[in-house]
Amino acid sequence: MMTGETSNFDILIVGGGLVGCASAWHLARLGLKVLVAERGHLNAGASGQNAGSLHFQIERRFLEQGEKAAADGARIVTLNRLAIEEWRGIEDMLSRPLDVAMHGGLMVAETEEQMALLAFKVARENELGLSTQVLDRAQLRERAPSLSPHLAGAAWLAEEGHANPRILVDAFAEGAGEQGAQIRTGIALTALSMARDGTYRAVLSGPDGEMRVRTPRVLLASGHWVPRLAGMLGLNVPLYAAPLMMSVTDRTEPVLPYLIQHVGARLSMKQTEDGNLLIGGGWPSRLARRADGTPDLDRPATVEMKNLRANLAVAARVMPGLAQRSLLRTWTGTTCISADQLPIVGEIPAAPGLFVAAGGSLFTLGPVLARLLARTIVEGSPPEELSMFLPRRFAHLDAFAVLP
Amino acid sequence: MTVFDIAIVGGGPAGLAAAERTLAAGLSTCVIDEQQRPGGQILRQPPSAFSVPGWLTGAPYRKGRALLANVSDDAKLHWLGGQSVLGITPDPAGETGFTLALSGTMGGVSEVRAKRVLVAGGCYDMPVALPGWTLPGVMSAGAVQTLVKAQQVLPGQRIVLFGTHPLMIVLAKQIIEAGGQVEAVCFAQSLKRMAKAALAHLPRAIATPAPLIAAAGGMAALRRAGVRIRYAAPVLRCEGEGQGGVEQVVIAGPNGEEALACDLAAMCYGFLPQADLVRQAGAGVRWSRPAGGWEAVHDGAMRSTVPGLYVAGETTGVAGSDAAMAEGAIAGLAIAQDAGALNEREAATAMRGPRSARKAMQGFIGLLRAVADPCPWLPAASAETLLCRCEDIAAGAVDRAIADALSVGPSFGASAIKLRCRAGMGLCQGRSCEHALVRRIAAARGCGEGEVEGFRPRFPARPLAIADLLEDAG
Repeated sequence: MMTGETSNFDILIVGGGLVGCASAWHLARLGLKVLVAERGHLNAGASGQNAGSLHFQIERRFLEQGEKAAADGARIVTLNRLAIEEWRGIEDMLSRPLDVAMHGGLMVAETEEQMALLAFKVARENELGLSTQVLDRAQLRERAPSLSPHLAGAAWLAEEGHANPRILVDAFAEGAGEQGAQIRTGIALTALSMARDGTYRAVLSGPDGEMRVRTPRVLLASGHWVPRLAGMLGLNVPLYAAPLMMSVTDRTEPVLPYLIQHVGARLSMKQTEDGNLLIGGGWPSRLARRADGTPDLDRPATVEMKNLRANLAVAARVMPGLAQRSLLRTWTGTTCISADQLPIVGEIPAAPGLFVAAGGSLFTLGPVLARLLARTIVEGSPPEELSMFLPRRFAHLDAFAVLP
Repeated sequence: MTVFDIAIVGGGPAGLAAAERTLAAGLSTCVIDEQQRPGGQILRQPPSAFSVPGWLTGAPYRKGRALLANVSDDAKLHWLGGQSVLGITPDPAGETGFTLALSGTMGGVSEVRAKRVLVAGGCYDMPVALPGWTLPGVMSAGAVQTLVKAQQVLPGQRIVLFGTHPLMIVLAKQIIEAGGQVEAVCFAQSLKRMAKAALAHLPRAIATPAPLIAAAGGMAALRRAGVRIRYAAPVLRCEGEGQGGVEQVVIAGPNGEEALACDLAAMCYGFLPQADLVRQAGAGVRWSRPAGGWEAVHDGAMRSTVPGLYVAGETTGVAGSDAAMAEGAIAGLAIAQDAGALNEREAATAMRGPRSARKAMQGFIGLLRAVADPCPWLPAASAETLLCRCEDIAAGAVDRAIADALSVGPSFGASAIKLRCRAGMGLCQGRSCEHALVRRIAAARGCGEGEVEGFRPRFPARPLAIADLLEDAG
């Protein structure tokens, strides 16, 4: 690693997760000189810790916050439709198998009230061009016999499924490397400033010393660490850490070809290519805390036993056979949510050349957002599809920023 | 829920010695162990329904048996046998203590709260991947010893012991006493090399002559029984046709390859500290010498780097049961002191005995480590040899994953390789293959094993029937 000298890049991408490496892949192909700096190792954060769901129905988290949020949430459907196309082509695009399985997804309901909510949701989705359909009890039973007969029905979407979060980021990183992107692991962004000419100066530190970078553009793609890094420039990005838990069982014969979600409870469940059942759905783990009580994002969150029990209880209620399996591992991972629950993707108005991309559901949406973001960066303005995710909706938070 | 003053994980020599001190200091003490009865591996008791005349009567067991008798008879001891500790969680800020999640033979998952926790988890046999090691009939020395000692079962008729660790002498003697036949004991290292390593440490080791005398006695017993002890006889592979299991082990003898017929092959290259819970709690560990694995670091009173969490015995480095007893006593006294049951002066005075005993043993421990060091003698896995036998991941696939990771950057650890190739993802949760992965990564990166980050130990520390977790979910 060079010490003292300054290297020039067209863009510095901070974070070696899905968004960072997929953006690097697109930008390197478009001819930019790209540096990806990852503090730990590639795919170490939420990109590799999530359970790999490809979910395109309106999420329960939007539905549980009232009609306003449901209406906002519905707007994400347009992006979800693009994401479906992205995932359909991703193995060809990266020329390798990624365990992408799009055999369909079911959002189940247990009660008549939940069925009514599903009907409301499906109507909104159909209006926006997503072909979900309501299955009644008998239709659900026929489609998914391993699920409990007590379920009242489900919303079905043929394109949902799952992919392998363990190998996707490597595929993007290796492809980006072949296109000339530099990918460095074990170096952290320790200083970031804007020079008088509007370009950025970054210091990256690792065990072998420091690396100085001059670049007209920076992309912060570091998940829940984005606010901390944006804070180096005095900027406010309203993203909040969401520590979650995921669990995996031992391997078993194929019993569940679909992604399962629940409209009235936190649940995601599917079976991997290897036969393990993966269970999650947004149950919180407990953030580590410093002695003064403030959250410590540098230490892993811990398993919250009552939430784990509740998560597995919902899962076993939906698929009774789960009770016969063994739990191998429960792990925690920290994603983030934005102030309005939608991802924040694009250029920060107060800091031209500074881009962010984070905010939840970014396994499903990461590849398509990286594509749209790369277009934004190269063309100089965002495509229409990105308009509702742009940071400008929070521009008021940077009204008092002083830059450079 | 009751909050114990101290929860001790592990009812072996270290845990029992600590319990003896914390009980004497009046602290409410529970001891949790996966075995039904106290004693640990070294004093693994037969099931209470068995009657075993002459169980572990030898001199090396005398001190431990006295401790076992003393602590097990203490009515104040809260013994939680047949229970695995699945997880350790520090209590939320503002409270002091830990919650341990337990599952056991009774089903369900229960929780135990304690103001302080001592992890005295012992060690386990280091599995070494060599061609044929997954054949039925290839076992670890510890497994054979468990069957012989506690279950009174001989798992084979014609037994070959191989590896680098002198425990093979003890085990061979126990097999013969149980009526089994030992075909050969194969040390990979030469007698000359062992003698040289031993001589260098002998002046200090002589301070505690008992284990040396016991070792010499063991050798003599084997000679009398006509057991062949081979030196400079490294095992290259285990072989067997079809489903029948192992039929022979192949060694590199002085005149080329040589096959030794057997129906059971027990490997003994050393032991790995049990430190999963220590690592789960976020306490400091370091690469263990000589065999490998992670051992807990501690201060002079067995305090780990996490306040309220203590460590003793093999969890802090494999050093034998006498050292474990001394460390357990020191830990028990430190816990009593930190809980306010002993003042600083009382604790320091009481620690003097076990501390000087522990110090005196260092010479013998150094000798044993030098003699038994497996690192130069670890057999080579072929590309097809399974490194991770839970997930069927061969050494070649692991090496490809390492090469791929290396092409991106040098800072990766065992988890990155696990994510790439699934090694370590199965039922054993990496306990068997982690050390092999770390060694291979260190070799590829050109660094010491201690610089390679290991797996992140997760809840549950042992696989758990989901039905057990659902029981009281309501």
